Amino acid sequence: MPNSLAFQQALSRRLFLSSSSTSIGAAALACLLGRDARASAGGSPTPAPHFHPRAKTIIWLTQAGAPSQLDLFDYKPGLKDRFDQDLPESIRNGQRLTGMTSGQKRFPVAPSTFKFRQVGESGIWLSEALPHTARIADRLCVIRSLYTEAINHDPAMTLLQTGHQIAGRPSLGAWLSYGLGSENNNLPAYVVMISRPSGPTNAQPLHERMWGSGFLPPRHQGVRFNPGRDPVLFLSNPPGISTERRRKMLDDVVALNRIKLADYQDAEIQARIDQYELAFRMQAAVPELADLSHEPKSVFENYGPESHKLGTFAANCILARRLAERGVQFIQLYHRGWDQHDNLPSGIKSQCYDTDQPTAALIQDLEQRGLLDETLVLWGGEFGRTVYSQGTLTSTNYGRDHHPRCFSMWMAGAGIKPGHVHGETDEYSYNVTRDPVHIHDLNATVLHLLGINHTRLTYRHQGRDYRLTDVHGEVIKDVLA
Amino acid sequence: MSRFRCERARAAPAWWTFWWVVACTAWHIHGAADAAEPVRFNRDIRPILSSRCFACHGRDENHRKSGLRLDVRDNALNAAESKAIPITPGKPESSELIRRIFSTDRDEMMPPADSGKNLTAAEKELLKQWVSEGAEYEPHWSLVPPMRVQPPIVKQTQWPRNPVDNFVLVRLEREGLRPSPAAEPATLLRRLCLDLTGLPPAAHDVSAFQRELAAADIADAKAGDRNQRAAERVYASWVDKLLASPHYGERMAVDWLDAARFADSNGYQVDRDREMYAWRDWVIAAFNANQPFDQFTIEQLAGDLLPNATLEQKIATGFHRNHMLNEEGGIIAEEFLAEYCSDRVETTAAVWLGQTFTCTRCHDHKFDPFTQRDYYGLYSFFHNVPEGGIGNYGANIRRNAPPMLKLPSPEIEAKIASLNRELDEVKKSLAALQDAKNPEHVRLTERVAALNKQIDEIDLQIPTTLVMQELPAARVTRILMRGEYNKLGDEVTANTPAALPGMSPDSPKNRLGLARWIVDLRNPLTARVTVNRLWQSLYGVGLVRTAEDFGTQGEPPSHPELLDWLATEFVRTGWDVKAMLRLMVTSSTYRQSARSNPSLLQRDPENRLLARGPRFRLQAEFLRDQALAVSGLLSSKLGGPSVRPYHPPGLYEQVVAGSSANTYVVGTGDELYRRSLYTYWKRSVPNPAMLTFDAPFRETCVLRRPRTNTPLQALNVMNDPTYVEAARFLAQRMVREAGNTAAERVRHGFQLTLARSPSAAEQAILVAAFERARKDFENDPTAVAELLKVGESPSDTVIEPVELATLATVAMTILNLDETLTKE
Repeated sequence: MPNSLAFQQALSRRLFLSSSSTSIGAAALACLLGRDARASAGGSPTPAPHFHPRAKTIIWLTQAGAPSQLDLFDYKPGLKDRFDQDLPESIRNGQRLTGMTSGQKRFPVAPSTFKFRQVGESGIWLSEALPHTARIADRLCVIRSLYTEAINHDPAMTLLQTGHQIAGRPSLGAWLSYGLGSENNNLPAYVVMISRPSGPTNAQPLHERMWGSGFLPPRHQGVRFNPGRDPVLFLSNPPGISTERRRKMLDDVVALNRIKLADYQDAEIQARIDQYELAFRMQAAVPELADLSHEPKSVFENYGPESHKLGTFAANCILARRLAERGVQFIQLYHRGWDQHDNLPSGIKSQCYDTDQPTAALIQDLEQRGLLDETLVLWGGEFGRTVYSQGTLTSTNYGRDHHPRCFSMWMAGAGIKPGHVHGETDEYSYNVTRDPVHIHDLNATVLHLLGINHTRLTYRHQGRDYRLTDVHGEVIKDVLA
Repeated sequence: MSRFRCERARAAPAWWTFWWVVACTAWHIHGAADAAEPVRFNRDIRPILSSRCFACHGRDENHRKSGLRLDVRDNALNAAESKAIPITPGKPESSELIRRIFSTDRDEMMPPADSGKNLTAAEKELLKQWVSEGAEYEPHWSLVPPMRVQPPIVKQTQWPRNPVDNFVLVRLEREGLRPSPAAEPATLLRRLCLDLTGLPPAAHDVSAFQRELAAADIADAKAGDRNQRAAERVYASWVDKLLASPHYGERMAVDWLDAARFADSNGYQVDRDREMYAWRDWVIAAFNANQPFDQFTIEQLAGDLLPNATLEQKIATGFHRNHMLNEEGGIIAEEFLAEYCSDRVETTAAVWLGQTFTCTRCHDHKFDPFTQRDYYGLYSFFHNVPEGGIGNYGANIRRNAPPMLKLPSPEIEAKIASLNRELDEVKKSLAALQDAKNPEHVRLTERVAALNKQIDEIDLQIPTTLVMQELPAARVTRILMRGEYNKLGDEVTANTPAALPGMSPDSPKNRLGLARWIVDLRNPLTARVTVNRLWQSLYGVGLVRTAEDFGTQGEPPSHPELLDWLATEFVRTGWDVKAMLRLMVTSSTYRQSARSNPSLLQRDPENRLLARGPRFRLQAEFLRDQALAVSGLLSSKLGGPSVRPYHPPGLYEQVVAGSSANTYVVGTGDELYRRSLYTYWKRSVPNPAMLTFDAPFRETCVLRRPRTNTPLQALNVMNDPTYVEAARFLAQRMVREAGNTAAERVRHGFQLTLARSPSAAEQAILVAAFERARKDFENDPTAVAELLKVGESPSDTVIEPVELATLATVAMTILNLDETLTKE
């Protein structure tokens, strides 16, 4: 049973460290692997897990800019007849407007131009813009009732990632690195990959803080994997320095550091020696991981035409699977370009071209390799979009503004109820009418699947015990298998 | 420098004598409580109550359970809602508190079984003992004025050089520990240089220092009192020399930039650039001029409100414009105005008062005696700036975020004046012409437009800086319920927190009044918090470890009497920062060797007792600066606009806003080799090497950087072109400045980097490395050529390439040594 396997591994990590925690090396190793040094000194290497985890790995497919729920997941057949009618005041109900549409005189209803159909055995309604996602519909649990407080990209993405709108708190991945440590001795616990849209869309910027460690020690921050020669910053030796030369140079560094250690007897020197050895191992492990040349042709066919190009969402999806195979615990992809204030129909098509096929391929790939049972996959953005058109509405074109009151995401894999829809919105997809899910609830659920009680994973900062979900958050029982 | 002249007379006020008269007659040493010693509330009891009880039984009314509060003695001694008496002094058996903490009934036990806040058996016994002894309370230590006690008498009377040492030694003697011997002179000089300037000593400085010490030793052979010895004078003169170096101000600025959340971009969303280097340069200059810390404080918080404020004093107020600024199109201005004011409150409270005010934005503090009303009282001081809550994204970055100051050069000023004169004349001529169809009229109209355009263009060439200003009429400030901008509560007026001594009645209720209150001698916090950060900069950890939190949840000081003595000394000397650092670095405590041993390591792994010298990895900035310095690449230029050194390709472009045209353009020439504090700091994607070595994002105030150890750091120093190029230039110095043998050359490289000669064993490893690499590179000319191409600065062509590449690899080894990365 994969679930108990994950727990066994967590336990054996713990035992390995506690049994050798008296030596300098263990403390140093704990530090390098992202564990809290103080925690490891106390015999318990990491603050979590608290109970049997369902998931060992998370792949978070973050769609930055906020994809329109109305054109992808939240089918509202009734809107056809309300084309260009004003959104009733009773529905808008005092919702704050962004500075981009607050000057608009009218809020005309813009029905989606995309057709919806029921797909899979589960019969989930899905937009024709997602033909490949349709193939994996029976694996998905679509949540239609998410909501947030933030109405602009920066605070909303910061809230989604860190549980707080204002910068300064740790991201989900950093919390996991702090809570669970690292599974793989040669790779970081938290990896981030970013792709820009292939279309002409104006892409919202991202910030390092979105995968930052906030007030947690910086070793917990997400490590960016970049396309090209150095997937990890400064991974490659400089030109002219071969691996053999590097190894010999490192042997010299170690020999000299040992002389120093004998003289000064400072534990930090041993930690430095270990740090350089781990860096050397990463120099071998990461290129092996990033090298897609041995992937069979069929893999590229499944992930689609963009998967040949380094740095695309599709190529990053293949890498995500390879990272999951190697025990990296939290893999976060960001795909930018979902901010369709205008020309939404063509913009969404282009975004779906980038993401739809590789997403479906990733789920199927994980499933075929037996990894989906222990991998939690999430897909979604920072908020939803308005039912009314921003700018001119025609029968074939419209734009949508930011909308925090409801939006859709899906989860799949470890511990998730497959082929299920959770929550409901009103006929305009404007307000949640059943089973509202706040960002804190989402994060509580993610932590739960990893065996973490979200109220117990805390870190003291400025005299207060902080947690990802602040003082909120309820695990969404209905989405759990 | 006259511009930092302090106008204030430095007479000690009458109450000052208070500290002197309370000097203890009998020195009493406090250690961990044992059965023989009475329990002390602040030391033993408050930490327990604060972390396990106050969240539900503390100050915060809204979350108080059962009507019980334990933070105030009167309440704890009277019946709670349950009618039970929580504490009966002297009678633990009739104290409900004691009954409940010892209870094993899950429904009764305290803290509750599901709270995760368990008490240890020892803690329960302590609480019981405290109640038995009468349950006396004490005010929190940091809110009581610092008490100056006489430096304690120690047994090893020969060891102390100044009072710092008496305080440290008395503790060591009590613990049965001995101080370490002094560090070797070269090691000490490197430590001193890195601490006071952030740069390693130059080779000629090391030899001069050693020469002077050798000469002094001959003179001292017949001297008696150590403080009269020539060697002491030599050391003191080097301390003074370093404090007088312009690089001192740069080093001091680095920590202050973290505190001030200084950056070169706005931080939110599109994260456009901002221009603030004039403020950063003000900070460097202020430290170099040794501006007294009280004046330094007043000018940054309220320089604009000083009578006849100078340009520099106005620039200084940029401190509180350094916060992030939102330019995102859809935001509501009021919401972010609230964020900026809150940021100023929280930053001010952390930097000067060492208090965490973040909690009180939404509710009364759960642990410390501060209320939500206190928060908005402070907020009100910062709420009167003529600013928009939203930056003007459509405007040039020199016009997008008023209030801003223009800082024109005299040449530009003259040019604009001359254009304006011409404009006036043309307008005059134009006014004289009635007929709009007159060709001359048309010509002049066009000329006016052209001149206006020209003036505008030149105006945009003028550097600017963000500053504070005061609205003529104060804005109304209301408490924001739950901290939300649109949930308005009671109106409040500008005021300082009620738990601290109040503002003097004749002080204006504005930022100037606030600034003066912060450095008022009655304020128990500012001096303590400041000397603690200076201590932290030398020892890697403050006397109070939680430098940002002197509240009940922070750690109490390791040496409380020393902290208080330093705080009072700081004030006594007129807030003289250089004098305080001089005092610290001339102590015997500071000059100890950093060598450890297994028993000491086990006894005091973090060196909080100070039985050895400080030893820890260099800060991000100083690591890079050191490599540039020892290679000879470092530019010594001070100040000016931020620069763009090497940056990994693609990293910036992946996340920034806008089209593919928004790219990171690497600087040229000197810009690649400036000190790291001048590196362009874009908040959404700061220089990755800085982040890797624990620099903060500079989004909010940071007063204590963590020090972590990750493999990414090793990759950075091994492979970043910055270090590879520095290694090549260090190799060039080995060839040019040392003899012809491998031994001489590697010795020189080692000496340049570490200020000491290698031991025979160390030299043998380096010489063997040289010979191995030499043989290897002789057969691989391609590798030689490739390695020598890394970095923008070309190699000296006179040097044989194989020799240079070989020595460059030796240099890379030296630059990656633990000792190189470490201050010891």
